[in-house]
Amino acid sequence: MLKPILLVEDNPNDLELTLIALSKSQLANQVIIVRDGAEALDSLHRRGEYASRPAGNPAVVLLDLKLPKVDGLEVLREVRSTDGLKPLPVVMLTSSKEEQDLVRSYELGVNAYVVKPVDFTEFVRAIADLGIFWAVLNEPPPGSQRYVKPNK
Amino acid sequence: MTQAATVPVLDLSTCDKEPIRTPGSIQPHGFLLTLAPDLAVLQASGNVGDWTGVAARDAVGQPLAAVIGAAAAQRIAPELAADLGPRPYYAGTITTANGHHFDVLAHAWDGVIIAEFEAVDRAEAADFRHLYPLIGDFLLKVNDATGIEALASLACQHIRSVTGFGRVLVYQFDADGHGHVTAEARDERYHSYMGQHFPASDIPAQARELYKLSRIRLIQDATYVPAPLVPALNPVTGRPNDLSFAALRSVSPVHLQYMRNMNTLASMSVSLMVKGKLWGLISCHNEEPIPIAFEKRTACEQLGQILALCIESREDAADLQFRLEVRRTMVSMLAGLTQGSDFVENLINVFPDLLRFARASGAAIMVDGRVLTYGDTPEEDDVRALVDWLTLHDHGDVFHTDKLSAQYPPAERLTRNASGLLAMPISRIHKHYLLWFRPEWVHTIEWAGNPHAKAAAPGAVSGAPPTQLSPRTSFDAWRETIHGTSQPWHQGEIEMALEFRTALLGIALERAEQMAELAEELGRANKELEAFSYSVSHDLRAPLRHIVGFADLLLESAGSEDAQQRQRFLKNIKEAARLAGKLVDDLLSFSQMGRASLRPTTVDMNDLVASCLDKLALETRGRNIEWNIGTLPEAWADPTFLHLALFNLLANAVKFTGQRDPAVIRVSAEDHPHETVFHVADNGAGFNMEYVHKLFGVFQRLHRMEDFQGTGIGLANVRRIVERHNGRVWADSVQGEGATFSFALPKQDASH
Repeated sequence: MLKPILLVEDNPNDLELTLIALSKSQLANQVIIVRDGAEALDSLHRRGEYASRPAGNPAVVLLDLKLPKVDGLEVLREVRSTDGLKPLPVVMLTSSKEEQDLVRSYELGVNAYVVKPVDFTEFVRAIADLGIFWAVLNEPPPGSQRYVKPNK
Repeated sequence: MTQAATVPVLDLSTCDKEPIRTPGSIQPHGFLLTLAPDLAVLQASGNVGDWTGVAARDAVGQPLAAVIGAAAAQRIAPELAADLGPRPYYAGTITTANGHHFDVLAHAWDGVIIAEFEAVDRAEAADFRHLYPLIGDFLLKVNDATGIEALASLACQHIRSVTGFGRVLVYQFDADGHGHVTAEARDERYHSYMGQHFPASDIPAQARELYKLSRIRLIQDATYVPAPLVPALNPVTGRPNDLSFAALRSVSPVHLQYMRNMNTLASMSVSLMVKGKLWGLISCHNEEPIPIAFEKRTACEQLGQILALCIESREDAADLQFRLEVRRTMVSMLAGLTQGSDFVENLINVFPDLLRFARASGAAIMVDGRVLTYGDTPEEDDVRALVDWLTLHDHGDVFHTDKLSAQYPPAERLTRNASGLLAMPISRIHKHYLLWFRPEWVHTIEWAGNPHAKAAAPGAVSGAPPTQLSPRTSFDAWRETIHGTSQPWHQGEIEMALEFRTALLGIALERAEQMAELAEELGRANKELEAFSYSVSHDLRAPLRHIVGFADLLLESAGSEDAQQRQRFLKNIKEAARLAGKLVDDLLSFSQMGRASLRPTTVDMNDLVASCLDKLALETRGRNIEWNIGTLPEAWADPTFLHLALFNLLANAVKFTGQRDPAVIRVSAEDHPHETVFHVADNGAGFNMEYVHKLFGVFQRLHRMEDFQGTGIGLANVRRIVERHNGRVWADSVQGEGATFSFALPKQDASH
């Protein structure tokens, strides 16, 4: 059983396009969708309406940079400063390649930073590559959730 | 005469009387119908028979289906029945009963629905992916350090490659309305107009007005025969139809003749609006007729808007930088002024700064009959005479000219070092003056044709009777050398000069510190500007990506049976395109907020609220809203700005109570000794107080797009407006129960 992918995206159009891209890449991972940074943190911390979700981190978080309430950089900062979430792979998805965003994302310890390509074919390819790398191939560091049997 | 410039419209001042908005006819590369709300045909263009087989006089009074066929009518009826805006909206592509294909554009204006049917040679819908290669690439370069001219040149290339026009140029209007070609892309067979000037009279005032409202115009074939509307008068208004925004609007016959003379059979122009003014035009020419379908025009129009935004932000940045420099000089000067006790002696100490401050080559001070000069200035006697003349002719706070001899003939002798003058009295009672001089700046202007000789060209158009208006025919480069003028004074310099005087009058030490603070504040304004262009690159790219993505998916699914999915893709494309346009508009208005000057007066808030409610009537129709509006005190503010702020708050209250029945919206006020506080409270969705600090930022949203529409600029506007009035704005909410937005405005005597 593969771990799910957590997709954090507020814009309905981007959401639809990303889901289509993920389904085209034929990943078997389940995709969990949350719509803003606050919800993403609730889900990761298993609190609020996510209090009863099964334990375990997702395989990867696909995180939009601009989000309502708590933005992507703040989510990333909290992930990196929370024990148990630190090793979680986080991929930042964004509309623009503003240098300040890129620099801050790397400073905060992002695993990858992807400017959403305008061309949809490229977008599908980028999403597929990301998914395969982070959700299937990536070897998480020792001690992370991977070594807990996921379907107990 | 095969390769000549064209200018967008006519060149004679009598053309100001041409009825360009109400020409009564259209260009015949499509047909036009005006429709009643039930889609019955009110008027038809005379050529409707050529396209549909139904003659115009037979079409009038019939339902739409009788003209374009039942299937086509059924297809677009829902689009036409929706709330149409005042600008053409792409309603879809139809095939008429007799097998012709048309793009349908619709807008509601002048009391009727104006439906335009542009002939196209494809049966499928317009492909908005043309937006991509053009704008996508352009946006990538937006934040690079390229200057305005490089961006303009890039825009020309893109527009040329999308449309196929033989020559595309950008020209910029100067303060007097003369055009200057600053960028160009052309086929090598076309003659270049780079660097040339076109006189202001080439574009009549009323055409400029129309260009501000309607951002793109196409003449696809200058040899066309106009198709008149039947009947000629709009039955709703009883007057000729206002076709200002119709894509097929016919243009003046003189202009067509002029284009034919110039061997330019197709032209298109896109307005570049910067800070609410017509900054310039993108102008396209082709020797052969050339059809440009709606989606390509949309791409060009959006590119024009983005170019204008870039120009605005570049100009603002340059302007801010300039003012910052001037102010730094001023601060150091003011510090110097406090060194000794004698004011005049102190001024002498800062003479070098005084020159640098105004980029002048000479300065003079006249105090108590003493004249002190520094740098290259006229002789002392000439300065005295000049001050006498200035004192006699009251010029208000500051006098400035870049051609002194035009107003003060004795200055003809002084052009070498005093062509330009910036002067101001530093005392209203005594004859104390501060003067800056600029030397003559001899320069040449290359005009496309002699602008002074234009009136003398009757009969230049072959076969034209002498009484007929005739456009100028010569566009050969004509060089004019300008004497007796200096470099113009920058608006920032003039404003700073005024401030400098205030500083002198208020003298000096404590003021100097304040000035240093102001310099810091300007630095902050620069930060805000950076945030603004950041948002432009960020938020404008999203809808473009959506358009391209869904258009790709649409093509991919062309053969599939899932019509519902394809419909949704199409809807997403259209909405993304609409959002992109709205974003551009909102950004423009937001940037204007920071700039336009305030004209505060006593405002009756009760009237203001009432007029906002009128404007909201459309949104509140069918809703159950309890308005709870107390008696409101007067406020001291600029009414236009305050109206906008209040409207934003009330519109938000209406929007966020969408799920409530009844919605309760309360407007109240408190009168304090130094300020007046207003509250707009609602029982709507509210927001989480944890994020209140983000609420008033540009493009900050606390809700999902599909729950509450909007571009995220409204509250940023409110804050900007209130803060420009030296007021405060804040918000309170209990999530799920409602929100209260409040603002406080200082009273008149407290606001300074």
